[in-house]
Amino acid sequence: MYRYDEFDKAFVAARVAEFSDQVTRRLAGEMTEEEFMPLRLRNGVYLQLHAYMLRVAIPYGTLSSRQLRKLAHIARRYDRGYGHFTTRQNIQFNWPRLVDIPEILEELSEVEMHAIQTSGNCIRNVTSDHFAGAAADEFADPRPYAEILRQWSSLHPEFSYLPRKFKIAVVGARIDRAAIQVHDIGLWLKRDSSGKLGFAFYVGGGQGRTPMVARLLRDFVPEEDLLSYTTAIIRIYNLYGRRDNKYKARIKILIHETGLEKLREEIEAEFAILKTGELKLPQADIDAINAYFHTPDLADRPEWHHNLDWLRSDDPAFDRWVNRNVASHRHPDYGIVTISLKPTGGVPGDATSVQMDVVADLAERYSKDELRVSYHQNLVLPHVALGDLKVIYDTLLATGLASANIGLISDIIACPGLDYCTLANARSISVAQQISARFSSHDRQMQVGEIQLNISGCINACGHHHVGHIGILGVEKKGSELYQLTLGGNAGNNCAIGEITGRGFSSDEIVDAVETVINTYLSVRESNKESFISTYRRVGMALFRQALYDVTGRAV
Amino acid sequence: MQLNGDSKLWGPGGFCEDEYVWADCLEDVGNRCVILPLSVWLQAVDKLDKETLGKTGVFAAAGEDVRPLLRFLAVIPVIALDFPVFSDGRSYSTAVQLKQIHHYLGELRAVGDVLIDQVSNMLRCGFDTLEVRHSLTQTRLAKYSREIFPGFYQPGASLIRARSHRIWYSVSARQSCS
Repeated sequence: MYRYDEFDKAFVAARVAEFSDQVTRRLAGEMTEEEFMPLRLRNGVYLQLHAYMLRVAIPYGTLSSRQLRKLAHIARRYDRGYGHFTTRQNIQFNWPRLVDIPEILEELSEVEMHAIQTSGNCIRNVTSDHFAGAAADEFADPRPYAEILRQWSSLHPEFSYLPRKFKIAVVGARIDRAAIQVHDIGLWLKRDSSGKLGFAFYVGGGQGRTPMVARLLRDFVPEEDLLSYTTAIIRIYNLYGRRDNKYKARIKILIHETGLEKLREEIEAEFAILKTGELKLPQADIDAINAYFHTPDLADRPEWHHNLDWLRSDDPAFDRWVNRNVASHRHPDYGIVTISLKPTGGVPGDATSVQMDVVADLAERYSKDELRVSYHQNLVLPHVALGDLKVIYDTLLATGLASANIGLISDIIACPGLDYCTLANARSISVAQQISARFSSHDRQMQVGEIQLNISGCINACGHHHVGHIGILGVEKKGSELYQLTLGGNAGNNCAIGEITGRGFSSDEIVDAVETVINTYLSVRESNKESFISTYRRVGMALFRQALYDVTGRAV
Repeated sequence: MQLNGDSKLWGPGGFCEDEYVWADCLEDVGNRCVILPLSVWLQAVDKLDKETLGKTGVFAAAGEDVRPLLRFLAVIPVIALDFPVFSDGRSYSTAVQLKQIHHYLGELRAVGDVLIDQVSNMLRCGFDTLEVRHSLTQTRLAKYSREIFPGFYQPGASLIRARSHRIWYSVSARQSCS
């Protein structure tokens, strides 16, 4: 893991001092809310429906147990005893008092954390693969580059007042687990024919009211040019991106309106100037950052394979959990454990202080002190010996974290919705709770198989409904909540935007509609090996529409 | 564009006298140093003698294309870039292009909605002077001596790279005066 050096520490301390001063000025009335807003947003402080909300950055989703314990402490001391993990691998605290926030930031800085640029029209927290450094299908670790980007983008003088927020994601495995093609810039590490490391640059992905899949801007940018090329893109965006309408201000709209070819010319011209300048990454710097991310020493523990088989056959619930929640590690005696934050009837992504402390202890003891937060709003123990799985499972079971549902229909991605958010038009959490209750039977979930269901409470799409295999979007119509259903979206490889089924459903109808979609899928799939998304791609929307609506377009 | 009695000009030595007046055309200003809108300046440039040219600055709106100015950079004494609202960040990029890429050596001035919380960004992007109307910002700048950050993760004006590292340090403290 990356560790702060003296400079990083001093830098964050200066930021905390600066923001404390700004909060003091705001509380003293020396600053208007309008002037304060962009400053607090740059420090992750939103004004929500009922209170301020603080969003803390978890850079590329990587945490140590010490850091998670600090988050648990903050939830306990300054909030109501829980936190909410987000699709951007961050954590949100929903009830802090403004006057406490400087102190919270100071506490965070003690464990090398901050809330810098978790909001505002600037470069946001860089996200990455939650299995990075452990996954069996990885060819280069994306975290060092995410860290380089994190540092470079922190308090960037030129890019602090962009037309709109700017999101970067980076992956380095065969499977894209970070949905890079729905980011403003998506980076996919690769090697060219000579074996040199670099990036494919995707640009202009995003969701919101105009969802778009990112397009390939350049097939290969050598690693030393990472910052120069990124600067060229964002400079052109800063100069030409629209500022007259915030819904048309993302880089995806600039690309759509200007054309990729024309924009590429501008970017390449800018890059030609920047390429030889100060932003070129010296190999020594890349190596120095890489050194922080060495895989921890993992002792061989082959004797446990047999024991694990025996334990699994002895405890069917444990067997189900291993089956769903443990992924292949590059070391054959180890696994990657995903801890589901999606219990039946729960709030997706929420964890209590007690749960965070338990998970932190597990990470310290059994996962080389490392933790990850996934884009899917779950927690991950990246380096677990197979022999330790049972004790981990038993501990999780005792604290309500043993749901065996990773990748199943109840592993729902959802935004906080109208229960917390000022932007929302409809509730997300209650719909997620109803769906997970409806499909609470593990056998039924296993029968349905791999599927991703996403819920957003408004068109801003924080729940990424556009790229859910099944997506639900809450809107407000004539004073009541209405839910639009989309099908066929997909994040990651073969990224696609879902298609709307038709007329929306009331809050009483939406769960039935989801069940109708599932039953239709089950009736037309070729075998239980054909997943929902593969079946949808084969048969198309028509059959689902037929099942959902009668001939007049009304819900059946 | 109007003369603004309330605004103060702040530079490397603290607050200083502003020699320039704003005007929409040359006829109004007689012998004084003047800042003209970019389009007006471009129309006038061929007719101006060397001495007048040396006393005539240019104002560019946020996002206005400054490429036509590039071949004249050696003779323009001041370029004022506008921040119509502090949240409009286009002039940061224009400043970087003028100073860091095209090595403009004249005075680069930030005008418009200049607030204390953006001062560090402006200086690092290469602005030499700030025209400040906001009274609290004036008060704070009067006491401003140096950057509160120990250094930065990006290159910038008056910053030098640390020996083998990804950090740029400030080379000079600003003088405090009022």
